[in-house]
Amino acid sequence: MPALSLAAQEAGRGGTREFLGLGPPPDAAAAKKGEPLYAANCAACHGKTARGGQAPDLVRSVVVLHDEKDEEISALVKNGRPQAGMPAFPGMPQEDIHNISQFLKLQVELTANRGTYGQTYSSLRTQTSGDPRKGREFFEANCTACHSASGDLSKIGARFPQATTLQARFIWPAHSGPVHAIVTEKSGRIITGTILKFDDFDVALRDARGDYHYWPRAEVQVKVDDNLGGHRALLPKYSDADLHNITAYLATLK
Amino acid sequence: MKTFFLIASLALGQGLDPASFSLFKLPPAVWPTYNGDYSGRRFSDLEQINQSNVGLLKIEWMYRIQGVGPQRGVGNPTIKSTPLLANGILYFTIPDHVFAIDAHTGDRLWQYDSEDHGGHLVGQRGVGMYGNWLYFMSPDGWFISLDAKDGKERWKKKIADEKLQYFTTIAPMVVKNHILIGVGGDAMDVRGYLESRDPETGELQWRWWSTPEKIGDQAADTWPNKSAMDHGGGMTWLPGTYDPELNLLYWGTGNANPVFAGQSRKGANLWTASIVALNPDTGKLVWWFQASPHDTHDWDNVETPVLFDAVIAGQPRKLLAQGARCGWFFVLDRTNGKNLVSAPFSGTGNWAKGVDQKGQPIPDPAKEPKENGSMIDMPAMGATNWPPPSYDPQTELFYLNGTEGYGIAYLYDTSDNPEGYGGGGGGNFDTKSALFAIDIHTGSVKWKHEHSGSAGVSGGILTTAGKLLFTGDSGNLVAFDPSSGKILWHQRLTSSVSNGPSTWTLDGRQYIIVGAGDTLYAFTLAGKNQ
Repeated sequence: MPALSLAAQEAGRGGTREFLGLGPPPDAAAAKKGEPLYAANCAACHGKTARGGQAPDLVRSVVVLHDEKDEEISALVKNGRPQAGMPAFPGMPQEDIHNISQFLKLQVELTANRGTYGQTYSSLRTQTSGDPRKGREFFEANCTACHSASGDLSKIGARFPQATTLQARFIWPAHSGPVHAIVTEKSGRIITGTILKFDDFDVALRDARGDYHYWPRAEVQVKVDDNLGGHRALLPKYSDADLHNITAYLATLK
Repeated sequence: MKTFFLIASLALGQGLDPASFSLFKLPPAVWPTYNGDYSGRRFSDLEQINQSNVGLLKIEWMYRIQGVGPQRGVGNPTIKSTPLLANGILYFTIPDHVFAIDAHTGDRLWQYDSEDHGGHLVGQRGVGMYGNWLYFMSPDGWFISLDAKDGKERWKKKIADEKLQYFTTIAPMVVKNHILIGVGGDAMDVRGYLESRDPETGELQWRWWSTPEKIGDQAADTWPNKSAMDHGGGMTWLPGTYDPELNLLYWGTGNANPVFAGQSRKGANLWTASIVALNPDTGKLVWWFQASPHDTHDWDNVETPVLFDAVIAGQPRKLLAQGARCGWFFVLDRTNGKNLVSAPFSGTGNWAKGVDQKGQPIPDPAKEPKENGSMIDMPAMGATNWPPPSYDPQTELFYLNGTEGYGIAYLYDTSDNPEGYGGGGGGNFDTKSALFAIDIHTGSVKWKHEHSGSAGVSGGILTTAGKLLFTGDSGNLVAFDPSSGKILWHQRLTSSVSNGPSTWTLDGRQYIIVGAGDTLYAFTLAGKNQ
């Protein structure tokens, strides 16, 4: 699971980067080397994360965003901006400038590319402020007709270690797998099976024997299996505190 | 004005007569702007196709885009533009490409291609037309004028910086001798603006900013400091509407930035997520109404501000209505912005604590994005979006494609100076999509057609004097009865409807035009061949 989600995350950030037209990705190794150089030479004025201090924000910087191959950043670092109080660093090696530039581009990436947020904020998303005791009270009052903390949900906290994922899961545990339906024809004949297509005009099923069935939507009655009724009924009742408390409680079920 | 009429008379040979731009009336053989007329009602007086014969609609021709291939970051070409019709020729677009098609046959006359140099290819809404000239935005901020005869480029002007994450998808809007163009972009906290440019030279006439310039300026007290205003968002990415008699331009503005993290921009954040009324000659603000004050949910308020006249409580009124992404429906007096109706159409509007004296929702801080998530009783990413709505004066109903359900929004960046999105929305709990018919007098939903199963994208809406409502549903183009929501006709297409349907008459035959994915379809009545 972790390997898969990491790969998916990589694909997600690359896809978002391409969509946003952010150009080539920053060089992570160079950015790592650039981090202490930035801290030693730039952070005092431009801020620890380059979002500005007494000197301008370098993440939303026109110079940084326009720089392609260090040409703009190099010129600025080497010559400074004396009239604005930015000192020149004429002796800074080109490699150091490159590494600082990659560090800055990484900060741009972490801000602009929302595909990176999942990774950046993963630890935050594993925490919950809820009260497990109150969550248990809610669970026992509302959920035990269908679920059991010692039965079907006994390992739910281990299955969904990220609090936000666990929360979304219990609010609406829809699955993307096959959906079952019962179709009643005008003649009264009933066919059950797995939905292949179901919209305002067409209904198609595959039955247990593997046979395909099609009907115009208007000609049949369709009853789609819906075991989410309990979850649906709770949607308008939850307070945000209820959600966080239930999450905290379910997280203890390992 | 003098130059304007001179050009108009010169243009009459092959070009588009600017006299065909009006508030409520369209000559039959023209669709001159994105929304048809200036009102944004997307209601047509044509009635050759009507309830009695809609069953005879057939595909007259199809034009499929070929040779473009998947587009960067978005996949196969998707037609979101509404084609303009002038002199029997249709002009439509996808990102980086303009097509001219013979409206009788679907034959391509010419194609203009722009090379991809950045920006977002999320959509392209179409061209604007003035005399013989077309106006087109490439995604990377170039404002391009073409000769409508052959698609040859006349000139191009850079109007937005894609390196700062601005992007440009708008269909330029023509008002008198002004070409109006807006911008998109909310990844890097830039400031929204709307520009007016000269039709002949492309030079800037005026620029209106969606946030105040400096402390002390009007509405600057809705921001904590200048930096927040300089990075406050408020994009202008969909065409607006215009009342020639009042000489007022109506435009919707996008969400505030940073998108989900509002802690560094305390206040209402004017004029983001608003409807603004501007003087088109000067770009001066006349009035505003803010749909999502201090927005923290990515609720762009760019949905078309639709203009119509109706009798309210015995008084004839000049009105403006909007079905907003924040899930509320608003009716305003368009002469002054005074509010008549504010009502949620998706959920109960529980992100707001009610409305203020202006009728604007009052956001509940408890429902802003939270580290642990905060749930609202509508989809977190909005209850509707850019696909064009419609107002039918025959039913006095406002129609939109929307979604219902529950959503949750998270705050990620908890620092004092968040940047970018700073959070995210999602959930899609128990989501249902539907066609809504909203009573303009009360804001209540008169009828609603909920899609069976998972219908997905359904495009925009067109209503006609033939007592028909055209929109997408379940991969079909569908004609509904606008008074009851009953389905009268449908035609399966190769993809879901992806633009706003439009209509016009050519050589005595009424056409319905709709885009579905990479294909443009033209429909006419069987047996009406000339």
